[in-house]
Amino acid sequence: MPARTKVVTVKRGLWENLYLPEIVRGLGVTLKHFFINTLGPKSKRQIVTIDYPDVVRELPERYRGVHRLNTREDGSVRCTACMMCATICPANCIHIEAGERENPASRDIEKFPQVFEIDELVCVVCGLCVEACPCDAIRMDTHVHMPPVEHRKDAVLEKPELMSRGTKSIAVDGGAGPDWRDKYTDLGSLTQIYRPDHIERDRERPARR
Amino acid sequence: MSEHEPTPTPELVTVKIDGKEHQLPKGKNLLEALLDLGEDISYFCYHPGLSVAASCRQCLVGIRGSMVPSCQTTVSDGLELESQSPTVLDARRQMLEFTLVNHPVDCVICDKAGECTLQRHYMDWDGKPSEIDHEKVEKPKKVDVGREIVLDAERCILCSRCVRFCQEIAESPDLVFEYRGNHETLTTAPDRRLDNSYSLNTVDICPVGALTDKDFRFKIRVWELYATRSVCNGCAAGCDTEVHHRDGRIYRMVPPKDWDMNLNWMCDDGRRTYKSVAAQRLTRPLVDGEPAELDAALAAIKERLEPLLAQDRGAIGVVLGADASNEDNFMAARMAYDFLEAGHVYLADSPDNGLGDDILRRDDPNPNRAGARGCARGDLGSSEDLARDLADHKLEALYVVGDRLDLSDETLGQLRGLKLVVVQASEPSRLTDKAHVVLPAAKWAEVHGTITRTSERAKRDLSASRFGRMRPAVEPPGMARPHWDWLKRVGAVLGVTVEFESAHAVFQEMKKQVPFFAEAQWGGKIPTVMLRFAGRRG
Ligand code: SF4
Ligand code: SF4
Ligand code: SF4
Ligand code: SF4
Ligand code: FES
Repeated sequence: MPARTKVVTVKRGLWENLYLPEIVRGLGVTLKHFFINTLGPKSKRQIVTIDYPDVVRELPERYRGVHRLNTREDGSVRCTACMMCATICPANCIHIEAGERENPASRDIEKFPQVFEIDELVCVVCGLCVEACPCDAIRMDTHVHMPPVEHRKDAVLEKPELMSRGTKSIAVDGGAGPDWRDKYTDLGSLTQIYRPDHIERDRERPARR
Repeated sequence: MSEHEPTPTPELVTVKIDGKEHQLPKGKNLLEALLDLGEDISYFCYHPGLSVAASCRQCLVGIRGSMVPSCQTTVSDGLELESQSPTVLDARRQMLEFTLVNHPVDCVICDKAGECTLQRHYMDWDGKPSEIDHEKVEKPKKVDVGREIVLDAERCILCSRCVRFCQEIAESPDLVFEYRGNHETLTTAPDRRLDNSYSLNTVDICPVGALTDKDFRFKIRVWELYATRSVCNGCAAGCDTEVHHRDGRIYRMVPPKDWDMNLNWMCDDGRRTYKSVAAQRLTRPLVDGEPAELDAALAAIKERLEPLLAQDRGAIGVVLGADASNEDNFMAARMAYDFLEAGHVYLADSPDNGLGDDILRRDDPNPNRAGARGCARGDLGSSEDLARDLADHKLEALYVVGDRLDLSDETLGQLRGLKLVVVQASEPSRLTDKAHVVLPAAKWAEVHGTITRTSERAKRDLSASRFGRMRPAVEPPGMARPHWDWLKRVGAVLGVTVEFESAHAVFQEMKKQVPFFAEAQWGGKIPTVMLRFAGRRG
């Protein structure tokens, strides 16, 4: 299909072609808003900017902030180094080195991430890692912007930092058991959305069993 | 048992599958015949290299209204069967559910995930949430069953492939089942461990991740790996292998899983030979022990060799390498006989180690002693002959190809007296310390080339080729290059122009000139594939 074009001709009279009078008129518009917004009555002011970072805009519920890594009941990292997130990540910015727990108790999960790094500068903030994680280990619900950094390497968040924002997961360690259908009739309660203030609250939350 | 003799063309009979007639070879295993036809059939316990156990019941087909395991049925005249009817598919689905009753489904941390047969069948055939509503039976996890292997008994689906492998192929019945029914558990036989020399094959053929390789465990997920077909350089058997690597690092070696090469096994030691590729390596040419540029090293050879070429060519010795490819040895032999007209040609090899058996492994730990001999025009001296000639001051210059020359301290001391010692080697050694010029060589996993397998391998002779083909999985480190390429460059500075652009070109010339290699095949192009697209293993 050929592209459709519409030719618009702007008619300019002598007044417009004189140039200067129009410039002055434009400045007038700008100055009018300047004085209304600075000296004018409060009700008339129209300021859309905020004093960031002193004032923070409320973020949408599902805003994707910097990543965090959740913990199990015993405080260890929930991540099992399964590499699902690293595999799906389109930016290839998640680096994980798996390790084996030294002397696991018989039912402990043997695998864990020795190294877990995310380069937040490379991250395209797509959230696919969160979708891919089968363990509810990685989340982006921190509502924290990636702060500006001086050196590129400072944007590589390592495990301790990622875990510092971690909380216990709402999932049950070791699975909910074969009778999960009877236990959790209200599945809606399992899909609550995290807010920054929840992070503090959930650190204290008793285990769900 | 696993002997594959060339069978006469079998009689074809008519078999009706889902109402459609097919001509199939009489007496052939029905499961294999169906798979050859491209039928989509799930199975766990059947393995073409092992006896038939028919224990998993996953390969059911409908014959005259009853469900029969196809792996235990042979093709016969007038056979009528259902393979994709709703009843049969349902039966297979139910079997899959049984198999999953006690399975922990911990794919998240399982090394087999991504190449697991159970995972694949579940995704292809079932894919619905678990309906199991009772506690699973807990079995031992992370059991140290052998030198190389860890067992997770919960993941085991009791197919008995590993048990049969140990009995039938490795001839060492190390594994047994204990308890029965819901509690049946794989374990080691009394007073035994899974320590036979072929134990790691059980990890490959296990359709799930019950048996895992200690060395590979948790290193990387399989779908992140790339597979390059090559040949093991661990001994003279020269088993076909797949080198699994990523970002220039090799993670494991496994036998290729092609159906028509179905009796491909590897020994445990062979699988670990990848480690030496990443060992301490020579990465720069050395002249009198000091790192040098490529041109400087070649110039040093020219400068010190040319006076000798003018006087006494009989005092030049060339050592072929039993660890170098046919092409490398061909180039070395050409240099020795045609150009240098060297008075002495030797073969550097490691002595037989007595580790051979009648399964795969040979006593001869050199990958290519036969190929080096094939390139020689006349007898090759041994390293004892070399020591004697050195002691008798018969040598003025020595050119060594490969890492296998092992000389006594006394003989090494005598090397100092020579005008020129050139060593093409991949690793630093006592010999490279003594050499005047050292040229860093690439290893088998870094080059194209062929090797000559010594003899028929005891339990299989399927690939039928005496010649194994190496393909590069990783880049050689630093300035390391293939032996043939160094020989070409050295020839060039000495005034011999050899126009070989690749190992393949050397191979073709070798095939033309040396009758020993008349039968040799270069082998087709097998591209490196990412395992994400490679299906299942086991
Ligand atoms: S948000 Fe997207 S780009 Fe960022 S780490 Fe996750 S998967 Fe990678
Ligand atoms: S964060 Fe989740 S997806 Fe990523 S490796 Fe850990 S468990 Fe797997
Ligand atoms: S360990 Fe693997 S190969 Fe052995 S019986 Fe169990 S599932 Fe089969
Ligand atoms: S038998 Fe020899 S060639 Fe085969 S895997 Fe073992 S060491 Fe390698
Ligand atoms: S494959 Fe036929 S019964 Fe297991």
